[in-house]
Amino acid sequence: MNFGKTQLDDPLTLGMRNLYIVPTRFGLLWLAGIGLLQVVAIQLESNGPLLLSFLMLGLFLLTLHLTHFNLQGLEVRSGEPAAGFAGDTLAYPLRLRCRGRCEGLRLRLGPGEPSQARSLAPGEHLLTLPWIPPERGKVRPGKLRLLTTAPLGLFVCWSRWAPPVPQLVIPAPRRGPVGQAPAHAEPEEGARASSQGESGGDLWHDLHPHRPEDGAGRLAWKLLAQGRGAHAKRFVAPLAEAPLLTPATGIPLERALEHLSAAILRLHGEGASYGLVLGPTTIPPGRGPGHRDRCLEALALAPRSL
Amino acid sequence: MNRPPSAATRIRQRRPAAAPESTSPEARRLQWLTEALLIVGLLGLQPSLLLSWVAIGLTVLAGLKLLEAKRLAERRLVGLLQLVCAGVLGALQADLGASLLQGVAVFLALAGLLALEAGQGPDWRLLLRRSLQVLVGALPVALALFVLMPRLAPFAPLNDLGKGGARMGLSESLAPGSIASLAANREPAARVSFEGDQPPETPDRYWRVLVHDRFDGERWQSSPTRPQSGPETTPAPAGTGSSKAQQLWVAEASGLEAVPWDGSALPLGGELRVNGRGELLHSGRASQRRLYGLRPDQGTDRGWRRIPPRPRDLSLPAGTNPQLEALGRSWQEAGPPAARLALAETWFRSRPFRYNRSPGTLPARAPLDAFLFERQEGFCGHYASAFSALMRAAGVPARVVSGYQGGTWVQPLGGPGYLDLRQDNAHAWSEVWVEAEGWRRVDPSTWIAPARGGGLRAAPGRGAVGWLERQWWALDLAWGRWWLGFDREGQEALLQRLLGERRNLVGVLVLAAVTGGLGISVSVLGWLRKRPEGDPPRRELERALAALARRGVVPEAGETLRGFSARLEQNEPELGALLRAVAEPYELWRYGTGARPPREARRLSASLRGHRRGLEKALRRQPQRRPTA
Repeated sequence: MNFGKTQLDDPLTLGMRNLYIVPTRFGLLWLAGIGLLQVVAIQLESNGPLLLSFLMLGLFLLTLHLTHFNLQGLEVRSGEPAAGFAGDTLAYPLRLRCRGRCEGLRLRLGPGEPSQARSLAPGEHLLTLPWIPPERGKVRPGKLRLLTTAPLGLFVCWSRWAPPVPQLVIPAPRRGPVGQAPAHAEPEEGARASSQGESGGDLWHDLHPHRPEDGAGRLAWKLLAQGRGAHAKRFVAPLAEAPLLTPATGIPLERALEHLSAAILRLHGEGASYGLVLGPTTIPPGRGPGHRDRCLEALALAPRSL
Repeated sequence: MNRPPSAATRIRQRRPAAAPESTSPEARRLQWLTEALLIVGLLGLQPSLLLSWVAIGLTVLAGLKLLEAKRLAERRLVGLLQLVCAGVLGALQADLGASLLQGVAVFLALAGLLALEAGQGPDWRLLLRRSLQVLVGALPVALALFVLMPRLAPFAPLNDLGKGGARMGLSESLAPGSIASLAANREPAARVSFEGDQPPETPDRYWRVLVHDRFDGERWQSSPTRPQSGPETTPAPAGTGSSKAQQLWVAEASGLEAVPWDGSALPLGGELRVNGRGELLHSGRASQRRLYGLRPDQGTDRGWRRIPPRPRDLSLPAGTNPQLEALGRSWQEAGPPAARLALAETWFRSRPFRYNRSPGTLPARAPLDAFLFERQEGFCGHYASAFSALMRAAGVPARVVSGYQGGTWVQPLGGPGYLDLRQDNAHAWSEVWVEAEGWRRVDPSTWIAPARGGGLRAAPGRGAVGWLERQWWALDLAWGRWWLGFDREGQEALLQRLLGERRNLVGVLVLAAVTGGLGISVSVLGWLRKRPEGDPPRRELERALAALARRGVVPEAGETLRGFSARLEQNEPELGALLRAVAEPYELWRYGTGARPPREARRLSASLRGHRRGLEKALRRQPQRRPTA
């Protein structure tokens, strides 16, 4: 079942006014089973099938309420969604607060089959839902369907909600040419790079006398062991030009942004320094995860035309 | 509390696509278990019945579907098929053991459906508890409808369905000469309980079933009854709901329309009638257990006993047993029938007859001559048929009656005592027409083996097994009285008692009972759902938090219990202090080191309860103001 008004409240509390409930196809089949048992019971004047058919009728009436109970009082709000790439399956976080035990809850973002049923104990729960964003930018994940058929699958009770918090979607990385703005070289202090936890790409430069603030990590142990005094190793980045990436010309902008996304990930992986120029926005060269995320966010939020 | 993932992991975080719809392993196990129980239930069915094949077909279908089912919808269908199958089995087998089996199968089928819907996660205890809750929740409505909903009459006559399938040792034709040996058969035939636990004296325990009045020289048969013809059939007195049954019979499936009775009590209920030969006919299905009641005869009219003999009660094919005929003819001049009867008894007693269960077969030519004058050993069937033939030769109308004799009196630990009749109690005797008194019962076997009238001694099971068996039969009888006894007439009587003149209010009564039952179940299950889970101290804490939540005071996302109570204390000092009084001892107990004996938990939860009630009272004192925490 997929009809009914889409709720916009945040947080959304499910109740009589925003829950829908109808019998499932199995529920109708169940009624047919009751009819069959009634015929057997009446024809054979037998108590067994008679009691069973009434029991099944009782279950039918009871589960109408129990299915509704599962969602009644459930409070739903969006979590803080993490950034992800377009075309990937992203995780959208949801916070649920159950007043009572919530059985057989199934959730679905957008079109497709709902997730597997799960039962939630009373209290707070953090769930993540998979969805595939269609485009980059700050994207809302579409309509959320919450539904349950527990306890017996005779009724389906559901509600529809549009989660208000958007998720940041970065252009999908794709190999290809990128443009470069006029570059400028800037040797970086190894100490700064090291304090950010980066290693591997930097070159050893020379030694200088060890100061306490240099820490043990850069102490030249070999010299110390040879009794030649405490020295600290000094590193510098290779004297290379830090590229200022721009969208390649001659190809559609969206495609160019995807190339940029791939280039940023590659340069970050190599430990290289890079900057980004997107029309009026300029991010000076830098490195590290924070810098990468800044650049990727700028790609995600880039205007449709530069 | 989960820490938010670092930026790097966040960006690389990729979720797998939603798994295809699959079902929980618990559900699969439960459905297989149900299937196994249903297959066990099938073992007791009679293949001659059409409905048995419906049950077998449904079970096989459910099993095959279960084998191949992958999707939720298919697995649900399996559950429904299993339920319907249990219902059909219930129509075929209504004894206590089978009913218990069907009940368990229904419960497991429901638990399987519940497990299907709950998805992965719920453990067995939770699942079974929940199934029990749902089942018990549906019972009030089911029982209200079962007891009060007026029942419809069958769409088609009952006997058209499923007649046949003989289990009882009695047969419509009796030819003892063709039976070499009687095998012991301990299968149950019938059980009867008596008003005031007063069974008849042992010599009077003759339970007639069939009357064989046609003799062809070798074989005794029952002439076909004509149900509609006037003089043949004595209609049973109309049973009324108020007349109390003195004897309550549960007769096992026999394939015969006739059921055992003592020949003198009056049948109760419209499904019973007595025909002109003194057979009690039950219109229920002969392939099923039948339950019926008899009440004492007022002593005026003996009905069938006074119906005079017809020519066939004297007919004897001439020349089939010449010696027997000659002997009988020689008694014709002896005087009134009673005198000829006495002559016969003397004749039997003076010959060296022996009672033998394995006398071998008699020759096809003149079998009764061979029995009376050569072999002189046999069982009740031999004596009854030879004596009846002799009486006919002597000019006295006679016929053979088959039924049961004796029985074992069982006094169970609880419930009423009963007489247990097994197939071993099957017996045959004679009836002769004596002008002054009508049809008189004569049992020639007692002249030969006085200790026991005839057939075989029904040796009750000895030892613990026999004792257990007798207790089980008593339970089964009580179940049969209660379960089979509540039929359309029983319901009519109940409604009459409940409503009296206002029978037209039955619809209102049903509606009220169903609504009431449903209301109670829904409220109880709703309350159970919201009841906090966990150990007693935890429940107290949850209750305290729930009381605050009702006023809109809830912890912020990720806020610790301690942080929450501190924040509350800033805005609402009284409430905050009370919450802290609950939260701090709880945290100490929960997260402190050392053992947590149950006694300690009880003491703590008692003290927490006090603080929690204080908190609730404080909240009640400020009904309008919403705390601003």
